[in-house]
Amino acid sequence: MSNNYFNTLPLREQLAQLAKCRFMDISEFPDGVSALKGKKMVVIGCGAQGLAQGMNLRDSGCDVSYTLRAAAIAEKRQSWKNATENGFVVGTYEELIPTADIVLNLTPDKQHTPVVTAIMPLMKHGACLSYSHGFNIVEEGMKIREDLTVIMVAPKCPGSEVRNEYVRGFGVPTLIAVHEANDPKGEGLALAKAYAVGTGGHKAGVLMSSFIAEVKSDLMGEQTILCGMLQTGSLLCFDKMIEEGIDAGYASKLIQFGWETVTEALKYGGVTNMLDRLSNPAKIKAFDLSEELKLIMRPLYNKHQDDIIDGTFSRTMMADWANDDVNLLGWRAETAETAFEKTPAGDVEISEQEYFDHGILMVAMVKAGVELAFETMTAAGIVADSAYYESLHETPLIANTIARKKLYEMNATISDTAEYGCYLYNHACLPLLADFMKGIKTDVIGKGQDLADTGVDNARLIEVNAALRSHPVEAIGSVLRGHMADMKKIV
Amino acid sequence: MTIRLENLTVKFDERFQLNTINWELAPNQHWVITGTNGSGKSALAAVLASVGESISGTIEGLPAKVGLVSFEAQAELIAAELKKDDADIMDVISVGTPVRDILNAAASNTQLLNELVEKFALTDTLERSFRTLSTGESRKVMLIRALASQPDLLVLDEPFDGLDANTLVMLQQYLASLIETIPMVMVLNRFDEFPDFITHIAYMDHGELKHQINRDDEKAYAELYQLLHLKTSNLQIPAADPDTVIPRLDPEQPLVRLNNITIKYADHKVIDSLDWTIQPNQHWQLSGPNGSGKTALLSLITGDHPQCYVNNVFVFGFQRGSGESIWQIKQFIGYVSTALQWEYRVGTGLRNVIISGFYDSIGLYSKYTDRQREIANQWLALLGMSERADQPFNKLSYGDQRLLLIARAMVKHPPLLILDEPCLGLDDMNRQLVLALIEKICADSETSVIYVNHHPEDQIKGIDNYLALEKH
Ligand SMILES: NC(=O)c1ccc[n+]([C@@H]2O[C@H](COP(=O)([O-])OP(=O)(O)OC[C@H]3O[C@@H](n4cnc5c(N)ncnc54)[C@H](OP(=O)(O)O)[C@@H]3O)[C@@H](O)[C@H]2O)c1
Repeated sequence: MSNNYFNTLPLREQLAQLAKCRFMDISEFPDGVSALKGKKMVVIGCGAQGLAQGMNLRDSGCDVSYTLRAAAIAEKRQSWKNATENGFVVGTYEELIPTADIVLNLTPDKQHTPVVTAIMPLMKHGACLSYSHGFNIVEEGMKIREDLTVIMVAPKCPGSEVRNEYVRGFGVPTLIAVHEANDPKGEGLALAKAYAVGTGGHKAGVLMSSFIAEVKSDLMGEQTILCGMLQTGSLLCFDKMIEEGIDAGYASKLIQFGWETVTEALKYGGVTNMLDRLSNPAKIKAFDLSEELKLIMRPLYNKHQDDIIDGTFSRTMMADWANDDVNLLGWRAETAETAFEKTPAGDVEISEQEYFDHGILMVAMVKAGVELAFETMTAAGIVADSAYYESLHETPLIANTIARKKLYEMNATISDTAEYGCYLYNHACLPLLADFMKGIKTDVIGKGQDLADTGVDNARLIEVNAALRSHPVEAIGSVLRGHMADMKKIV
Repeated sequence: MTIRLENLTVKFDERFQLNTINWELAPNQHWVITGTNGSGKSALAAVLASVGESISGTIEGLPAKVGLVSFEAQAELIAAELKKDDADIMDVISVGTPVRDILNAAASNTQLLNELVEKFALTDTLERSFRTLSTGESRKVMLIRALASQPDLLVLDEPFDGLDANTLVMLQQYLASLIETIPMVMVLNRFDEFPDFITHIAYMDHGELKHQINRDDEKAYAELYQLLHLKTSNLQIPAADPDTVIPRLDPEQPLVRLNNITIKYADHKVIDSLDWTIQPNQHWQLSGPNGSGKTALLSLITGDHPQCYVNNVFVFGFQRGSGESIWQIKQFIGYVSTALQWEYRVGTGLRNVIISGFYDSIGLYSKYTDRQREIANQWLALLGMSERADQPFNKLSYGDQRLLLIARAMVKHPPLLILDEPCLGLDDMNRQLVLALIEKICADSETSVIYVNHHPEDQIKGIDNYLALEKH
């Protein structure tokens, strides 16, 4: 059975690793991709990340080819088509891994143990193995041959964006790390930096972090605010609107596209801007609701973080892997049967502003979730930069997937690990919010406020505005967004 | 009475004719005819004064008395005066006809004539010989003649040209006082000279009446403004940025050499064994039906097509797949296509869109220099968009977006400019705008152009190499 790497470290080292995160300036990448010149990069798997990263690296002048499991080649699966149609050389592990100077493991996290076990003996002496997520190393404690360098280059966006942003001449924020137990030649950092340049990440901002900080923050973000909160919020808000007699098609549409619309405001100007889109009375209402939600949900966020840090979460999930994913598949089927999922969005016009005005509760849920996730992560020792990317930054990206095809699409796009965590959260959060939801009426979800007098108490408004603006996620957010805007004048 | 021109073709001399003009001027309308030099705008005005030889078609409703002021009419009068001089064989030297006589001959109302002479401040010249007048003075005489004849229609070809500021203001006011009684047609080239009472605008191009615009149609009016601006202003395309240097290419090498190219999707070959070489300073037109692989072929050159790595592609000194990056390729290329326009859904300002051309990026992510900003401003001036520099790109009209993307592609003066169906989806006016800009670029720069299109009427002067693809 696996051996949690994080748990083998002394506390002092655990804290140091968790706190490892530094924003790198673009001037720290003067060598571009030169550390990769003349080296052969072989990607395992050609899915979302594999294809996008490989294409970017090749367009940056790197030598990239793909290796797939034998069955994928024999059956000409989608991954084989992805690689060959884009003009890449594709070969079996035996053919390509021994020639590789750098092996990019871009298979699903769940498969990492068998995949790495299979390819490791074939790897050249002194080669480099790279990941885009550290689960295998940190949670499963995978031991890598001592002569091999192990690095991580993790784009903080889905594969499609990784490619699109590169083609535009930009990139996506990217986290890099070196597995200190596997850096025999001390070249890990140089390789990771060059790799980040090759994918365009350096233009959007690179966080120099650790495997541990990446895993613990990534897991926390995805199961709570990113996927869990949006799923739970969707189900609760929909059921409430139906209960209150709102047209089902309208309710379905308000939620499906509402997350995307309100979090778009988040992307540009943080939580403050999202709430500024509301009228003054609605803003105060959303603020009060979110305070209440935070009070109720804080213990749940703490529990998720605790379980992630001490390994309980990954242990439970790996037990389900070993049990043929019974839980995961059961929960997935259950989600498909929910009323929200089964009601198609109605053919009604909803203006951009109406999504805010009629979705005050959704705004409150996003605010509560972002702030709680951020506060919990930073309290656990994760650096603010990292906590920002794993909470606020990614929320609009996930909301986009719901807009495309509801929860089904979201759960299909995210990793099995995120999906598993999302269901855990959802199951705990639904009952937790049952009482709270009893007090909810259509003024905050579905119809919006109907006030003859939209006046508010000045003192109260000032208090709310000050509270919004002084939250620490806003401070780091404006720095990081400002940093991007500095280069990215357009936003 | 309404004046009606139907399918009218009029010949002026061996070289010029107006073709199949269809035009209606209702009594309460006041028109400006505009267009570039040689477009036929003066000819169309002259037709209303019965000048020219009608070849076919009809013209109805022309009033009996048309007051015409034009350079041609002025020149004719002067020539006639000079001839009188030649014809005079007496030994007394002729002094020519005094201005007073010239005016009296045309005027039907002496009181009005005197008023006008005073208004135009010509009292002192009445006794002088017409021949001795300056151009401006003789222009005034022409104007007085036309106005004092109390015409049923006034046709004024560039009436404001050569007038001093005071007279200009006076004339504009005077004309404005006539609008209830006399319909007017003016030939004017500068939008800022269009009097407020003008209700319609006719745009001439190559002897054809291309556009008729109601002044209340603000969008059409703005587009026409731009078109005229591009066609008639003397602005040059802005120079390259001396600090943003594109590496020098070996002049002995072709810009592009494609050898035995094949592009295929699954088992379908879109391009099969094609060779194509583009030498420096060659301009090419690429044509072919939809699906013949034009865009795929071009994206092999730009590096946007993944199959550039499995073909024999040599571009700008790089054999593709030898460790070069696409940014090293893209620095030599300016590119415009409909697809790019779809991609370019950014809310950034117009100036930034142009500056992004220095960085080959969609959106602007780099700190630009003051000089780059200045060059972008020059481009905006060329396009007639200076006032809109900070407006968001995605709020522009489709045609304006296209113009701006062409400026973006050209801003760095790339060795190769690729225009993939630059007129696609544009209405006639915008097509002409785009073509006008492209012609300016072909004429003013050392850039090689690849121009993709399949409309014969969208030909561009100066392109003399052709590649036609077939559908496989
Ligand atoms: N998605 C994201 O947003 C994101 C962001 C950052 C990092 N990451 C990380 O990137 C990595 C890849 O994720 P992804 O989303 O790109 O995955 P994906 O789209 O599911 O692609 C996985 C690829 O691996 C292949 N594969 C699956 N099982 C395999 C096995 N047992 N042996 C060999 N190959 C196998 C699949 O091809 P065949 O089934 O045809 O063999 C497929 O090409 C993960 O570590 C993930 O955490 C993902």
